[in-house]
Order: sequence, then structure tokens, then C-alpha cells
Amino acid sequence: MPDMTQHGKAETQQWQPVANTPVVMFDRVSKTYGRINALAGVSIGISGGVTGILGLNGAGKSTLFKLMMGKIKPSSGAIRLFGTDPWKNPAPYSRVGFVPEHEKMYDWMTALDFITTFARLHGMTRDEATKEAIRVLSFVSLEEVMHKKIGQYSKGMRQRVKIAHALVNDPELIVLDEPLQGCDPLARTTIMNVIKELGAMGRTVLVSSHILHEIERITEQIVILHRGRVLALGNLHAIREMLDQHPHKILLDCKNPRGLAKDVIDLEEVTGISFVNPEKLLIETKHLGEIHQKLPQIIVDSGQIVTGIDNPDDDLQSILMYLTGGSP
Amino acid sequence: MSTKMDSIWSKLDRKSTAIVEFTMRQYRTRISTWVVMGASVVAIFLMLLFYIDAMNTEIDAIDNDGDSFDTDGDGYPDGQERLEGTNPNSDGSFPSWVEPDPPEKWINEDDIEWDNLASGENYVGQDDDGDCLSQDTSSQRDSNDNNIDCDIIVTIDTINGTIVVEADNNVDEDPDEDKYGKEAGHRAFILGIGKFGIVFLLGIFLPLFLATGLIREEITEGTIHYMLAKPIARGEILLYRMLGYLGITWPFIIGLCFILSIITGFTGPGDGFFRWADLGVWMTIAWAAMMVSLVYGTIFCGFGIIWKNGVILAILFAAWELGMTFVAILSGGDSSIRYFSVIGWGMIIVDSGVAVCWPDNWQLIEVGLWGGGQGEANWLGEMEYAALPGALPLQTFSGNSGLGVSEWIAFVISTLVLLFQGIISWFIGQAIFKGKEVN
Repeated sequence: MPDMTQHGKAETQQWQPVANTPVVMFDRVSKTYGRINALAGVSIGISGGVTGILGLNGAGKSTLFKLMMGKIKPSSGAIRLFGTDPWKNPAPYSRVGFVPEHEKMYDWMTALDFITTFARLHGMTRDEATKEAIRVLSFVSLEEVMHKKIGQYSKGMRQRVKIAHALVNDPELIVLDEPLQGCDPLARTTIMNVIKELGAMGRTVLVSSHILHEIERITEQIVILHRGRVLALGNLHAIREMLDQHPHKILLDCKNPRGLAKDVIDLEEVTGISFVNPEKLLIETKHLGEIHQKLPQIIVDSGQIVTGIDNPDDDLQSILMYLTGGSP
Repeated sequence: MSTKMDSIWSKLDRKSTAIVEFTMRQYRTRISTWVVMGASVVAIFLMLLFYIDAMNTEIDAIDNDGDSFDTDGDGYPDGQERLEGTNPNSDGSFPSWVEPDPPEKWINEDDIEWDNLASGENYVGQDDDGDCLSQDTSSQRDSNDNNIDCDIIVTIDTINGTIVVEADNNVDEDPDEDKYGKEAGHRAFILGIGKFGIVFLLGIFLPLFLATGLIREEITEGTIHYMLAKPIARGEILLYRMLGYLGITWPFIIGLCFILSIITGFTGPGDGFFRWADLGVWMTIAWAAMMVSLVYGTIFCGFGIIWKNGVILAILFAAWELGMTFVAILSGGDSSIRYFSVIGWGMIIVDSGVAVCWPDNWQLIEVGLWGGGQGEANWLGEMEYAALPGALPLQTFSGNSGLGVSEWIAFVISTLVLLFQGIISWFIGQAIFKGKEVN
């Protein structure tokens, strides 16, 4: 009989993951759209820890994730999630949490509603789903506003709702597509901490980004995609070393750049300062990582209001320049 | 077996109730839902105003046999003089032993009284005003030569579907136009608004606006990813989304038909307090609209999955269905091409419901088409009778199943055909959805 009251656990034949296989496995996977090679012969196997998927826009990050999430079919090669082909069988998603990059959400729902509803698609009862939803909302520090409509949330809060929604089934694999895009610095820090925490809990986390220093603050294990191929795979440190020889630029939007400049110029990492226009301050450095660590404190101490931080000279571009010998 | 069924169900319905509830809530938050439903209600209630106005307007009585006139001017209407045996053309001859009747008494004085007609020859009719029985010779009284004075022979040929009426002179010749026109007009309104307004227009516009985007809008907006990244097959998502769509449209259709049945049941003609038989007709109209909107909804949702401009395909399909609506209504059940449509089967549901709830409907049409036997012979020598008001619209909107089976079986068959169309559409839709690459 249909279980309309939805009490207790559902007794179903569970899908079982294949033993001794990587969580995610791509075996010579290619995906072509007409004559465009979105992904060409990619082979990777990932299990445990946080992995950053780096690449410029159009490098194949989204294609990789779409293939992994069974949204598109590979042109050739095999994809396995816990040993199962996700295009043919959606069962592995009971162990997966996915954070899509799309900004559109169900704005008319409250965060609690949204997460509870979609938790029920994992086969949870209403009660279980509500309990789990509250748990994940407090994990991303949104439990105080969970009864508000998602439409009233800021960009960063929306991202956190999406992440919470992906965690509701306590997944072993968490896939985050550009989770930091468009977030304010505070939300970035919160989200980064959440991701790091998940990695520390032994989950397999995949994070895509086109900004190197974001990934750098989360993990050292990276995959660099370029033009549909895996360009580099492994520890970031070695690659990082090479990069320090290149100068980097940081662009700050603020009301009074000159006031901020005098605090920044004292830092030994800073090699140059210029004023692009009356509300922008450009800092040049060879040590991007350190500057990004010190900058928030300097801004707070100076009492200036900074409305935006940007890296116009994208450092991933520099890595790619280096790795491809000057033809990104 | 039972434990396995239990386990499959218990987990499936958790997911299904989640998606169904979610879909219904989503509809409720959309303005388009309310606009479409509001516009349908307004349009149908505008039509209802015309109906209420018609029901409250007296239809002018016509003195078909002209016996309310007082030809000789002696104060007695011709009909009364003939009945009493005096000469209506001489002012010196009048029935002095009775008071003269008011002329209105001799208008609509001989209503059509046909018993339940059966196949073959039926001898019916009654000369209420005595203008047949008072004629002199037996050949005048029995002009149709069946050895019964003053009656009507109605010959029904069920094989060819023809009806021939041969009446003796002046029998049932002056029917009550208002009484007939109200009854026929009332039924024609219910069938017209039911078949065209509710089963077709509502049945196709609700899915066009509400079902085409059921999956398509989620794909366009990217929110489909929240559903697809769950351990649930795409075919199930489609099925449960469809159930959510039905959860909104079906109660709306039932509610609308129920309200209409209440209003027309009280305002309609008749001696009773409420027209109970109409309730059955309204419910078959609602059932037909529900089945039709189920099939259209599934097809249109599939169009939305195939192509981002699936609404264009839906409109092309709707054009075909509009043509089939006219074929199905105007052919009255004689056309076979309507079987290759959705709406044709919906109309069969209504027609079989009418045959059950108003078993006298076809006879009412025939009575009205004969209309008292007034008319002229055309160049072939066939009589063309002047139909009573309301008879032609009622004939237009009535039909028969054409399936050659009893009404109940026609009802069941047409329902099953529509369900089958719906299931096939879902099956094709989910197959397309499964193979669809969602970017």
C-alpha cells in the first residue's frame, strides 16, 4: 500500500556501490558538440579529499561536471560514479550532492521548504527531511533565516542554501560548480570553510573555479583543464613556485584609494601601486597569496570601505601560459 | 510479492508526493496559472449571462393553425366555433350556449404529444383541440390511411438512421414554442458550452499554458538540475510533474462544471425544483474535459521537452484538434476521421453521457424538427418543415458515439482510448526526456 502517512524507514532494495573503485572515474572520456571538442580523452580517478578543477571559461569544467551528473552523454569513453554509469542509472546520486552553477532558484520557497522538498527525493519521510534540512542549514549558518523566502537572500546566502541542499543526504561525493562566483568576501570565507570542513570529514569534494587563489585557499590537490584536456594534475605547490616569478595585479574598488594606498605601500610584498581612476587602487605584487591573506586586516585597520577585489591579471592565465609554453 | 510491492511503493510515493506537492505549490505561486483560470471563468460566465437572459425571455407564441382568429367577427375564435359545430365564416352562426373563449386559448392549443418512440412504425399524437376529430369525412380524419383517426405515424429506420413523419391533418399542429424553445435552448447551451467551451477550449488551453512548460521551463531556467541530481529516473519526474499538473487542473474543471450545473439546474426550464438529470450531463462533460486535458497535457509537455519552442508544436497540434472538434460536432457522430484525434473521443464521452442522462434527447430533436408539420414541399416534393426554436442548435450540438455499441460501453471505450493515448504520450515523452542532454 502507498505509504501516505510516511512514518518510519522505507524498506527498499538499496543500490550498492561497487567495491574497490574510485568515487569518480573518467576513462578516456570525450565529448564533442558538432565539430567542437568540449572534452578530449580525459582520464581521471578521484577518491577522498578536496580536489579543485581549474580552467578558463570554456576549458571543459562544466562539461566534465555535466557528464558526471548524467545530464549529457559522453561521445566516447566511460564514466563511473561509485562504479555505476550515471547516464544510465540515477541511483548513485543517493550518495552525491550537487551544487549547480545556475543562479536561478525557487525564490518563492523558504530555504527550509526548498531543502526539505528536495531531501524527500532521496526517499526520506517528511519528518526525516525536515530534521536533516535543519541540520544542514545550521551547518552553513543559515538556521536563523531559514523561514525566509530564498528570493530575499543575498547572493552569498543563496550559494550557501545550494550547498546545504547538496549536503542533506549526507553525501560521500560533493560536486560544486563555481560555488564562489559572485559572492562577497564574507560569504567566500564561509563557503571555503564549509568545503574545507567537508574535506576534513573524509568526503570527496570537487570544486570548479577559474580563479587560482580561491582554489589555493581550499585545497592543494588540483586538476587543470585546458581546451578539453587535462593539462596538469596533482599538488599545487610545485606549480605555484613557478608562478611567483610573474608579477600579479590586484584591483581594489574603494572611496578613498589614496588613504588605503599609504597602508598598503608599507608591505614588503607590494612592488608597485597606481591609481587607475579616482575610485580604484591597483596593487602590483609577486606574492599574491600573502597579499590576499594580509589585505582584509589592512582594510579593516584603515577604516576604508572596499566594495570590490579583483585580479585583472588572471593568474590562471599565467599558469597556462607557462604550462603551454606561451599559447593559452 | 506483497512485501516487494510495499517496499517499492513506500519509497516511490515519498518521492512522488514530494514532486506532486512541489509542482502544485509552484503552480499556485505563478501568476500565469491564475490568469489562465481566471480568464476561462470570465469567458464561460459571460456565455452564461446570455443563457440566463435567454431563459428569462419569453419566446413569442405562433398560432400555427390560425384558429385564434375570429374570421366572421362574431366574437368567437374560429377554433371554438369549429369545435362547437357552428360556421366560423358566418357571423350569424355562433355557439350562443357558451361564453366566447379569449383568443389566447386558441394559440399553442395542440402541443406535440409523442410517447416514447421505438424502432419501426409508431402511432402517436393526440388532437387536443378537436379540429381533426370534428372533420366530416373519415378520409379527412385519417389522411395517413392507418385506420386510426387523427394520429401521426412516426417511422423510425434505425439502420439508415432516418425518421419519417406522416400526420393526419390538424393533429399536434400548434405546439408551445416557448416551452419547447426553453427546453431545447437549455440543452443546446449545456452541450454547446460543454463540448466546445469546456471539453475543447478549456481542455486545450489549460494544458497549452500550464503543461507545455512543465519540464521546459525548468530546463530553460536551469532549476531542473535540482531534480535531475537526485536518485530518481527522469520518467518518474515527468510522471509526477504530470500528476501535479492534474492536481491543479482537474479540481478546477470539476469545480467549474459543478458550479455551472448548479446555476443552470436552477435557472433551467422544467416543473421540478432542480434539473437533476443535467447533473449527470455536466459530470460527463467534466470527465471528458479531464481526460482530454490529461492527454493534451502529456503531449504538450513532451513537445516542451523536444524543443525549446515546443509551444509552436502545441499550437499546430491544437489547430488540428480544432478542426477535429468541428468535424466531431458537426458530423454528429458520422465521421470516422475524428477517431484520429483526442477531442473526437472526448466528444464520444459527452454524447454517451447525454444518451444516458437525457434518453429522450433525440426524440426531442425530432419533435422540434417536425415542429407541428408546418412547412413547404421543395422541388423534389419532400416536406421541409419549419423547425421549432432551439431544435436546430440542439441537433447541432447533439451527436451519437457512432461506435455501434451501447452508451455505457461507448463511455468506457472512449475513456480507455483517451487513457491509452495519455499513457502512450507519457511513454514517448519519458523516452525523449531520458535521451535528452540537459545543458
